[in-house]
Amino acid sequence: GHSVGDGDHGKRDGHWGRGGTMGCGCDPLTPVPQTRAARVRVGKGDKPVTYEQAHPPHYIGHRKGWLSLHTGNLCGEAGAAERAVEDSFLRRFLFGTFPGLLQDEVVLKRRGNLLVVCALLGRALPPHKIYFLVGYTETLLSHFYKCPMRLELQTVPSRVVYKYL
Amino acid sequence: QDPTAAHYMFQDDPFLMPRNAANSRLYSLSKESGKNAAKYIIKNFPQYFDKTLADPNVPCLMPETFTPQTEGVSEEALKERIHLRRVKESVDLFDQLVQAGTPLSLETTNSLLDLLCFCGDEESTSEKEEESKEDLEEPGVNASEQKAPRRQFQRGLQSSGPRWRENNHAERIFKIMPERNAHSYCTMIRGMVKHGAASKAYDMYIDLLNERHKADVHTFNALIRAVPYLKERFIERWELVKDFLTHMTQQEVQPNLLTFNAILKTLRRCGVVGRSMALLVIKEMEALDIEPSLATYDHLLSIFYRGIDLPRSGIVSEVLDEVEKRSFTPQDPDDANFFSTAMQVCCDLKDVKLAYRLNNAMEVGDNWKFLDVDRLNGYWSKFFSLLCMMEQIEFVLKWYKEMSFSFFYPTPKNILDLLQALDAASQLEVIPSVWDDVKQLGFTRRHEVLEEFLSLMSRDQHPEEIQLAFAKCAEDIRAAHEPAGREQVPLEWTGSALGSVVVLFSRAGRTQDAWNMMEHFQKTNRIPTEKVMDEFLNCAKQTNCPEEAIKLVKLAASLGLPSSQRLKSRTEEEFELSETQK
Repeated sequence: GHSVGDGDHGKRDGHWGRGGTMGCGCDPLTPVPQTRAARVRVGKGDKPVTYEQAHPPHYIGHRKGWLSLHTGNLCGEAGAAERAVEDSFLRRFLFGTFPGLLQDEVVLKRRGNLLVVCALLGRALPPHKIYFLVGYTETLLSHFYKCPMRLELQTVPSRVVYKYL
Repeated sequence: QDPTAAHYMFQDDPFLMPRNAANSRLYSLSKESGKNAAKYIIKNFPQYFDKTLADPNVPCLMPETFTPQTEGVSEEALKERIHLRRVKESVDLFDQLVQAGTPLSLETTNSLLDLLCFCGDEESTSEKEEESKEDLEEPGVNASEQKAPRRQFQRGLQSSGPRWRENNHAERIFKIMPERNAHSYCTMIRGMVKHGAASKAYDMYIDLLNERHKADVHTFNALIRAVPYLKERFIERWELVKDFLTHMTQQEVQPNLLTFNAILKTLRRCGVVGRSMALLVIKEMEALDIEPSLATYDHLLSIFYRGIDLPRSGIVSEVLDEVEKRSFTPQDPDDANFFSTAMQVCCDLKDVKLAYRLNNAMEVGDNWKFLDVDRLNGYWSKFFSLLCMMEQIEFVLKWYKEMSFSFFYPTPKNILDLLQALDAASQLEVIPSVWDDVKQLGFTRRHEVLEEFLSLMSRDQHPEEIQLAFAKCAEDIRAAHEPAGREQVPLEWTGSALGSVVVLFSRAGRTQDAWNMMEHFQKTNRIPTEKVMDEFLNCAKQTNCPEEAIKLVKLAASLGLPSSQRLKSRTEEEFELSETQK
């Protein structure tokens, strides 16, 4: 499954971490959760991987953008936890509503009251069915979260592969 | 307005942008039906949607309660069900209360009558799916209404919802009411007019007069609207309208804007009488200081500009003078028809300047809001046809580039008009780009469009590059005739189409393609014309293919054409043939 892209970054400890103080702590060579998060392991070279998936989380802010943009994490602002819960609900909801169509992680942008969901879809469904789902999603999520919600879509003929791992 | 973008309700993506009018309508309707699906879920499962509260709270996004709260048989419960528009439950509850002998206030009974007359004795649509079919079987026309000459008028009323049944709930309740006041009569009259029982409405009005009640302005408006269904002859209709107006003054009821709009709407059905009376009605409106709405002007234009003999254009310029000045607000459901009617009048009068003035009027204030997506397409389509007829080619092309695919989607008629305009201005080199647009619009299987393209392209000889571009179009057209996919029936070739394609291929020097098309002639049992065969021979000569020329002669001979001899001699003269070939 896909995980939320905001990993922690800025740790200067490198990949192995201090086995004594974090993780299970028994063996300095045990890989710690930080070293497994959001990374696609190199394989035989036949696994297609998008740009988003190919870059581990320490590249966020350098080579990657954020997948969820809100002010909850700024100094003095509240509501970060609620935003995280909403994000995870929205991602599951969209994954189910657009069956097999999502080509990449959904980007969520919050501007004031407005929630903008930017999704990259494939072209497996004809356009009028996609519009049906768009109308349905916008109305349902607006009523659910009591805020205006807008869906901005882009379609691609097939998944955009960055490299093969 | 961005000329490259579609309407803002569509997603900005090349796959999701609609390409023609049919797609535009389909996508907007699918989006709307998606919204309805979501609303259905929200309405039926409100418990999932009322927990999360936003700050600031948006009350319109909270689910509404549609289930009645008061239980039991009482007047309060009845009032609540009427408020929630539950027709069947209200009627049942009413019957229970009457049988139990509970006295009901006149007000409650009147509001029940209001509900029944508004809904025409049927449930509002959201309940319909849950009801069983027997309740909703409305066979249609009431027996007493079904006289043959009236048939054409009834059809007009049928579109406005369910028909008035004989002895339906409203009539039954009306009859058993212990006391009735003016409101009861008025609401019955309005309901009957709305649902097509015009003569019953008139009888009810006579009853109202006999009981010495006074009708209100809405009732009079409804009665005036019903006049065309009560009388046949024009002069009788006008007399009846005048009677109603006299009664209005006697009962001291002030007419309003809708009264005058109703009079004009009736005058539309009064032919010559209508034309002579319409302007007097307008003067009366001005005297009473009532500002006309767009529906007023719409009725005016329809009264004067109907039929074949069109009068002077004075009326429409005066109307445009008025409309240009201000921004209108919707006051009458018929307001929305004004712009379409006005543009149709401009097209009939073939006056482009009026059309430009109308466009400017549409951009004043909020006037553009009167055109919804369907009407917008029709409006611009007519405007473009008018431009093609009357304007110079540079302006036509400029408007075409700006308006197509953003303001409106050209119809096949628009494409044909554009081709004619290009022909008149001798700018046939634009045709290949128009053909690209036609492919995008999906008109490649329409006979009249294809015929027009082919005949224009093949009529005269053109310089080299243009000829090559034309040949490319011909190739597309040929591909369009091939059977594609299992569902599509392949297009039939016509003789002239085949001939044109051969000519176009020949002029571009594509001998093999041209020969393939010649073989089609035999397959489809059509005869090529002389011109076609001459062109083919020219091509064969230029590309130096004597075998093709011989094949042509054989074909002509096998078809038994009179020109085969001439072709044979021409081939012998113009080509250097070896002995075997001779």
